[in-house]
This record gives sequence, C-alpha cells and structure tokens, in this order.
Amino acid sequence: MVKRVFERQTLPFSTDFSLAGTRCLLSTNSHEILRQAMRWQGSAPASGERTFWMEMMEDPSFKCEERALSHFRGLRHVVLANIESKAFVAFDLLRKRVMGVICPAVARDDSFWDQRLLPVTIGVLGTTLGVAPLHCACLDRRGKALLVAGASGAGKSTLSAALAQRGFAVVSDDWSYLSRTPGGLIAYGLSATVKLLPDAVRFFRELHGYSTRKTFNGEFAYEIDPVRTLSSAAATSSKPQWLLFLERTVTRGSHFIPCRSDYARQFFEEFAERLPEELPHMRIARSEVINALSACRCWIFRTGESPQGAAEAIQKFLENSDHVAA
Amino acid sequence: MSLHELTAHRDPQDLLCRFVPTPLRTRFRHGVARVVVQTNDFSLLPALPLDGEPKQAHKPVFEWKVIRDLDATGPLGEPVILDSQLLTVVGLGPACLVCVDHERKELLGFIGAQIDARTYQEFLVPFFCRLSDGTGLDDSRLPFGKEREENHGT
Repeated sequence: MVKRVFERQTLPFSTDFSLAGTRCLLSTNSHEILRQAMRWQGSAPASGERTFWMEMMEDPSFKCEERALSHFRGLRHVVLANIESKAFVAFDLLRKRVMGVICPAVARDDSFWDQRLLPVTIGVLGTTLGVAPLHCACLDRRGKALLVAGASGAGKSTLSAALAQRGFAVVSDDWSYLSRTPGGLIAYGLSATVKLLPDAVRFFRELHGYSTRKTFNGEFAYEIDPVRTLSSAAATSSKPQWLLFLERTVTRGSHFIPCRSDYARQFFEEFAERLPEELPHMRIARSEVINALSACRCWIFRTGESPQGAAEAIQKFLENSDHVAA
Repeated sequence: MSLHELTAHRDPQDLLCRFVPTPLRTRFRHGVARVVVQTNDFSLLPALPLDGEPKQAHKPVFEWKVIRDLDATGPLGEPVILDSQLLTVVGLGPACLVCVDHERKELLGFIGAQIDARTYQEFLVPFFCRLSDGTGLDDSRLPFGKEREENHGT
C-alpha cells in the first residue's frame, strides 16, 4: 500500500496555467507535469474567483492499465474519478481543489492531458468557477460562434465536421465551456478533436485510412483532428452569436424554425447535470450563463440532408442572416 | 420501495450517482463520537453499538453517507490513497471509493455490488472508523493486503 501525501514538501514545483477562462495554480513533484502545464500558459490570467488549485503527483508505483474504462462518482462536494485507470483524481468543489496521481507514462502523454484530464477537470469543476459546461458543439466564423445543440445521436459531430470543411473553425464538437465576462459571453473549447461514429465514413472520404478506437464513453469512433484531417481552421474560443437545435428528419430538405429564448433555456436546463445542494451558487452561475446564451438568435434546424448538404444550408442561412442583421 | 429500486439508480441527469436516495439511517457510537449513517442498503448499516442518547447530547458528530453501487462490479482492487490536510481519499478500484472530509466531518463512499456483508462489516467498517478518527492510514489492519488474502482468498 502506498499513501500519497499532498503537501508542500512532496510537491515542490509550482506554476500556473489557463484553462477555459480559469486559472489553475498547479503544484507537482514532476518536471513532465510542469511541462504539460506550460503548454497551456499564454492567455491572460483569470480573476481571483476563477482560480482553482491542482495538486498532481507523478508516481511510478501507480499502476496504469491499458484499455480500462473511466469510473466517476460524486457525493455532495466531492467527485472521484478513475480516468481510464491512468489517473486517480479527487475534486473538491467546495474548496476548488483537485488532487490526483498519475503514472510517469501518462504524465508525458500530451493527448491524455488535452483530451481527458483537463476536459474532465473543467467539466467537473467549471461551474464552481463560473464556467458552465454545456452539451453543444461550437464553431467559429470570423470571431462569431455558432453553437449546435441537440439530443445525443442527432449528428452534431458529423455536422461540425461538414461545417469545418466549409471554413468554420471547430472550437468544440461535443462539450463547450461558456463563461460570462465583462466583454460578453465566451464559449471555450478544449482540444478540438471531432468524434465521428463509424458510419461517418460514408460522408467523409478523409476517414479512409483511419481506424476507430474506443472513446472516453466506451463507444468506438474516429477521433480526428479537424485541422489535420479536414484542413479546417482551429479556434480555442469564440463569442456566441447563433444557436441551432439540430433535429434529424427522414424527409429531405433543411428548415430553420425560429425559437424563443425560453426554448433554449429549457433545453439546456433539462439536459444539465443535477448539482449538489451544498453548492447552490453553482446552479445560479450556470443558470446565469444559460440565460445569457438564450439571448442569442436561435432556431430549430430540421434537416434530412447529408452532413454536407446541411452544412451548406447553414452557411447560406447565416450569410443571409448577417445581411438582415446588418 | 424495494432494495432494487433504492440501489438501481439510473438518472441521466445524475451520472455521478450523487442523488441516490438514502432513506436508511442510524446512529452509532465510535469512541466519544456519534456517527450518523445514511445509506440505501440495509447490509451497509454498520453492526456497531447504537447511539441511544438524545440528539441534543453534546458529542462530536461524524456523518457517513455510504451508497451501494450496483453498477460497480468486481472485487476490491489495489488501494490508491491520496491524503491532504482536508481530504483523505481511498480507492480500491470501482468496488470501493471513499473520501473523508476532515474539516466537515463527513465520510462519503460507494460500495460495489460484489462486496458482501462480511467484507463490509469486518474490514471496511473498522477501516471507515479509523479513517473517521484519523488513525486509519497509520494502521496496518486495512481491508486489503496479506491478512485479507489469507482470510478470504481474494
């Protein structure tokens, strides 16, 4: 049995980095973990209330397992996560603290940090920091964000990939992290990979030569970098402007049905995770973000077209919408 | 409400199982402290002397919230222990996840479907008591390791 004690003597190195508009003060015992944090440095530091503390220990005695699924549980203000048996992490939402242990191989693995550990961290802790994780894709066009929401399986990711082929920059294809700032609402993405289910190969020739793999939630899918695979642009944040609720239909054609802000508010509140009573400010903060997002122009987008056909319809619609707004 | 209804919690808005109902409650004594237990499974009520004193009696109170987690299968795994001034976290694979908040005097835990009553009462409950009073990690009588392997063959 190995007990890992988290204190100043055991975690002698420290630095800070930015994550979806928040600031993380990191303590560690590892040069590799410091290097990971430094890759996320650069943007302006967030204010004090958006600061959290992460204590991350690299430990050769921590046994990583290959191909293990993640396991998350939470009670009250604490969330415990075994992330693919590569990291064991505890989140204290009350005190905005994270402590965890990882093996050396994972400490060096950039993709684990970018696609697993950091998204999980902001997904669990974000709402305590004023950053609401919302289940929607986010695409940037000239500094304005199109958010695409819809039920699981509606085709958000394939539509995102098709929009990326038409010049939209992918900020996120699944979870977007929204935050109110003095300059308005901002949507952040972490690690802009796009997850496409195996049948997407029918619509994207670029996937030939790639193979599917088990993703975070256990299903098999392509996980592609849209910049490399689809030659699209990339963006890490954007300002929400338009909101589409994607609905697939069996009949061909695409239709944009204007909807009221109440519809958007209800949609996101209904799909949102229940939050613990011990942290009432989390619910308030998330509702404030959802209210701000609901003020965007929003439509229900019903389409029976291919992803490319739907993307073309959206592009034309937004161009017309821009003219109307101008 | 049947045990199955209490434990088979499938709420898409509660994937972390934070809101599993815990209608079973009891109080017991541990040293000078009173421990209030909430759970969703009769077999997770500790077999310890009950605390019959009135609630108003001035005793330090520790609270346990222990959930039977039917989605977590398999035996106890290799222990992973994280210890800070405020929190102590112990993971024995998905079959047992437990966290003690020393400041708030709370023990929060999930016990997997295959952890039987004997393992829970003989090993985990004493371990939780020691975690609660702060002596658990300095004690070799943990619910895993050689002694347990000899006794239970797991």
